[in-house]
Amino acid sequence: MYFKLPNKIVDELRNWLPILSLITLIVFLVGLYFSILNSPPDYLQGDSMRIMYIHVPAAWLALGSYSFLALSCICWFIFRNPNFNLFAKSIAPIGAIFTLIALVTGSIWGKPTWGTWWAWDARLTSMLILFFLYVAYIMTWQSIVNKELAAKISAALGVIGFINIPIIKFSVDWWNTLHQPATISKLSAPSIHISMLTPLLIMTFAYILLLATLFLIRLKIEIVEQKILRANK
Amino acid sequence: MQFYNLILRDLKLAFYSSTNFLLAASFLILVLILIPFVFGSNVSNFSLLFRGFIWISIALSILLTLDRVFNSDYEDGNLDTIILTQISIELIVFAKFISHWIANCIPIIIVIPLAGILFEISIEDSLHIITNVLAGSPGMVFIGSAISALTLGSKRAGIYKTIIIIPLYIPFIIFGADQESSLVLLGLSMIACVFSLFISVYSLRLYAE
Repeated sequence: MYFKLPNKIVDELRNWLPILSLITLIVFLVGLYFSILNSPPDYLQGDSMRIMYIHVPAAWLALGSYSFLALSCICWFIFRNPNFNLFAKSIAPIGAIFTLIALVTGSIWGKPTWGTWWAWDARLTSMLILFFLYVAYIMTWQSIVNKELAAKISAALGVIGFINIPIIKFSVDWWNTLHQPATISKLSAPSIHISMLTPLLIMTFAYILLLATLFLIRLKIEIVEQKILRANK
Repeated sequence: MQFYNLILRDLKLAFYSSTNFLLAASFLILVLILIPFVFGSNVSNFSLLFRGFIWISIALSILLTLDRVFNSDYEDGNLDTIILTQISIELIVFAKFISHWIANCIPIIIVIPLAGILFEISIEDSLHIITNVLAGSPGMVFIGSAISALTLGSKRAGIYKTIIIIPLYIPFIIFGADQESSLVLLGLSMIACVFSLFISVYSLRLYAE
């Protein structure tokens, strides 16, 4: 057995998930309204910059979910509480999909703006590597039959992949590459106008809600799956 | 003394069958032979292509040989016997690293100047490449061995082991293609040695239980 969550949590999740999904949908609609209809186009890029409202939160949360995954793995090494492995296992596919969204929307935006679908830029390449790290993590769970062993191996793998996160974050500062440096991190004076910042923040909030909803759904599925496996023994 | 005996044992195993010993080096040459077929024989700057492709082919040939570090011993049960001896696991792993590097990377390094002749590389340039390979290949072998130790128990490890290892090889390939940075490569190899020791010892303890 590699998790110890109380049985009650599945029922709780069953009650709260529809409400959370509804809230996510509403926030997403509000965010999309603001980002597509009710915000000014960029004076240089025109309407093509609107894809930024989809691209940037996905990229942020792709990094965020890997950090969560790696921190769960580290916490598993420290506390040896099997729940942490369950958290990491649940968030991995979601993070992989978010990385894919960031890569695909970035390419679509890059075609009119940079004039190319893909450039071998430091940040783009390291995001692609992040995607393969997610894939490797998921494949470890699937290819090792003994799940207790798989939990130990994949935890080590998650920690190894954590090296990539600071490389992605600071790649735009360390190397002078095509991808623009961070705009929002300077909290005192962000170099983005308030009329564009508001929709971006709403979309980020919507993405966080989406991540939380999907994560809880995955968590529920994992718990139920484990229960079935144990009942069949 | 036991440490040297372990290294000697693995080296004897590697050199008794000449196919094992020649595999990595001949694979390297064969990958390099593909370059003229891809780009045609009229390319003016073969030496530039060679400097990049040599690192790709080194990475591939190291990947090819990784099954022999822990997997063969694990499958026939020798690994359990070695771990049961009084030698600490750290020393066993380090002996494995070193013997694997000697058995597979020394032939590669011997072959590089010969391959250089085929691609019109001057002696000085191939000396530069050899210094870089000498500094970088230990780290690549260590990382690869650590990941293959980590995936010992999975059935289809050969397929997805490469997905984990190749991203970790990227720093070596970046600095390897640059002629001046053999010291950076040496540093990377040392860092890789420390981390790979931890990972391999952790995973061998898991499988030895």
